[in-house]
Amino acid sequence: MNGRLSRTFSRNPFVFSLILFLVLVVINRALQDNMFELGPLNGNLRVFIPAIFLAVGQTFVIIAGGVDLSVGAMVSMTSAILATQIPQEATADVFLRALLLAFGAGALAGTLNGFGVTVLRLQPIVTTYATSFIFAGIALAILPEPGGRLPRDITSFWRNPLQVTTEIGIPIGLIVITLLVLFWIIIANTRYKQFLFATGGKAEAAYTTGIRVNRVKFTTYLFSALFATLAGMAIVFGTGTGNPRAGEQMTLLSVVAVVIGGTRLSGGQGNIIGSIIGALILGIIGNVLSFANLDSWVRPLIDALIIIIALAIPGLISLGRRMWKP
Amino acid sequence: MKDITLVVENAVKTYGGVTALADGNLAVRSGEVTALLGANGSGKSTLSKILTGVVSPNSGRVLIDGAPVFFRSPVEARRMGISAVYQELSLIPDLTVAENIWLGHEPLRAGFMNHGEMKARTQSLLDLFSGMLKPNLTPDALITSLSPDERQIVEILKALSYDPRLIILDEATASLDSQQVNRLFELIGDWKTGGMAIVFVSHRMEEIFRIADKASVLRNGRTVGERTISETNERELVDLMIEGANALLRERAAVVPVDAPIRLDVQELRTAVLRGVSLQVRDGELLGLGGLQGQGQSDLLMALFGAIRYSGQIVLSGMPRQFKHPKQAMRSDVALVPGDRGTEGLLAIRSILENLILPSWDRYGVPLKMQKARADGTQIAAELKMVMASLHAPVSSLSGGNAQKVVIGKWLLRSPKLLLLNDPTKGIDVGAKAEFYHLLTQLRDAGTAILFYSSDDDELLGLCDRVLVLHDGEVSAELTGNTLMRENLVAASMGAAS
Repeated sequence: MNGRLSRTFSRNPFVFSLILFLVLVVINRALQDNMFELGPLNGNLRVFIPAIFLAVGQTFVIIAGGVDLSVGAMVSMTSAILATQIPQEATADVFLRALLLAFGAGALAGTLNGFGVTVLRLQPIVTTYATSFIFAGIALAILPEPGGRLPRDITSFWRNPLQVTTEIGIPIGLIVITLLVLFWIIIANTRYKQFLFATGGKAEAAYTTGIRVNRVKFTTYLFSALFATLAGMAIVFGTGTGNPRAGEQMTLLSVVAVVIGGTRLSGGQGNIIGSIIGALILGIIGNVLSFANLDSWVRPLIDALIIIIALAIPGLISLGRRMWKP
Repeated sequence: MKDITLVVENAVKTYGGVTALADGNLAVRSGEVTALLGANGSGKSTLSKILTGVVSPNSGRVLIDGAPVFFRSPVEARRMGISAVYQELSLIPDLTVAENIWLGHEPLRAGFMNHGEMKARTQSLLDLFSGMLKPNLTPDALITSLSPDERQIVEILKALSYDPRLIILDEATASLDSQQVNRLFELIGDWKTGGMAIVFVSHRMEEIFRIADKASVLRNGRTVGERTISETNERELVDLMIEGANALLRERAAVVPVDAPIRLDVQELRTAVLRGVSLQVRDGELLGLGGLQGQGQSDLLMALFGAIRYSGQIVLSGMPRQFKHPKQAMRSDVALVPGDRGTEGLLAIRSILENLILPSWDRYGVPLKMQKARADGTQIAAELKMVMASLHAPVSSLSGGNAQKVVIGKWLLRSPKLLLLNDPTKGIDVGAKAEFYHLLTQLRDAGTAILFYSSDDDELLGLCDRVLVLHDGEVSAELTGNTLMRENLVAASMGAAS
């Protein structure tokens, strides 16, 4: 029993973040009476979507032992591309072409990162930090100032995609989260997941076992870029306009969400579901703080506390176990 | 199973400027166990890595069934039916036993992992060692939760899961206890009759004579001889491995010091594993600890060193002690040479000198006395006959045997009164072992009290004046004088009363 319990925790460290999440939801509910009504719920979740996408992509990279510091810049790049390529009177063709362009650019960006890490064998932090300036520069070159206006159809579709009735739709956030969880369940049942964890857990051992470690690492940067593009898309669709600095603050938050979600920063262990919860936690903290009317400097302080607690909990538990044993 | 013959001709492998293998030759065929022998650094690891496609030779040929092959990766070698049990374990710590065994060739159903099938097949592999594994070793157990011998067995099963035609066992018995080794040898017998070819790399001469049909000996990167086991003897093979050296097996003390002062007196020591162990060690005594793996020997040494929590009474040099941290034990002139030199004993990327003086900074640190440190380091390196480029070379550049000397050397610099040894000769070669035995007897004769755990029964029988056999956390026998015989040791290891 004890062994089973500790195995559950060590393999699913997001259990702790789930508890944290529930506590925060209760606090949020206390401050915001209408939190569970569809309107505010939909609005809240929609705001969290970009962070969720980024956290999911980042999880792949971190599990395989790397990190992607260029995701924020990729969001900005996507925002700039979509805002300039989709005019207000865009036809379906134009719209699709713009999407294709955005995802193509994302794929190229991911390829560049993967190339740097696997072929040039540069440190992931160095590679992706460097490329982030390229992507940020491209964003500013395409769209120097915030601007652009998307067709209303797109933003209203994004607000309520499955139009059950015009008043209450199924929140887009729930749809996205459900799809992501399904996506993870599928991945978790393929060989790819084993390769991912083996590569991050002990790359040399994975190599001698015959796993193409470099190829696996490469794919994680492609995943990360794909999800960064989705995040950028979610921001543009949500706001209806573009911002070449949209992702500037988002990179480290994505790493934080992953860490809170129980994925080990050194790789080899982790879970996308945890990262989704991590992103939600960060979002709700923002909500709670804004409702609590605190000064803006309190926010980073509380973020830091949460991260420290999330990181320390597994260590504290094993410490407790050691003290408890004779 | 399709028969296989594999021949390696004049294989050469250099890393940078260092020649790891100068002229490697090997011939193996189905139904035969070929032992690959050589001192550490003789090139046998490199040769077996060439067989498995982990490294490519600079020149030379590999022929399978007469046709030349060239492996660019382990996958290609495996496709030809070659799989290996590696010395450096190839297991992923955070994956389960089943996930590790089937990594890269998971049973699939419609493209998805077939977890049920994977577990069932893992279980049937584990059943090969049934009765020798703890009940917690299930297909779902995480590798991190396993002991070294269990990991070794998982590693063997992983190689076996590929249904190989040729299996390479590189020091596969190093972590196993004698019961597990026996089982493995039975299995090897089955594989032989099934038509598998086996390459067996081991430092344990006794095992080679038990299991191998022929032996191929490497020295300094060259294959220097091949012998049929039934037509050779231990002496000849050892002579081939180490030119002209006199490998010694026996250096038992002539006199057991009965009147020397008692250095260590332990009463009713208990830890998570130990269930009340009492013992005494006198100055100038080499007390052996025997028994199967994981019966509490390591726990005993770690507790005496203050590295794990315990209850019970420890009297050291006449003073009752309660060590809570290794630092306290070190201050009382206790030293521990750990078993896993890679993870517990050494900082691999730091220099030899730094490693040597690491526990002795109180002597060289304030004020900084690097001249003295260097002089002492040089002296101890010479005493231990370390083979190295310089004291400033990183430890990672040393061979296994020399790295182990650094671990021992760093504690000898403190001239301990009580020396604790946790299976120190595991995986080091015959030549280095001989030097090590000599060193131990020197220390003993100089009056050091030594507590020596070894998983190699021959060592205990050959070196120790007295051996305590541990079984299930208790002392199951004390062997000395006439009772110190292999039969008694083995019987007590199994928990039988002698």
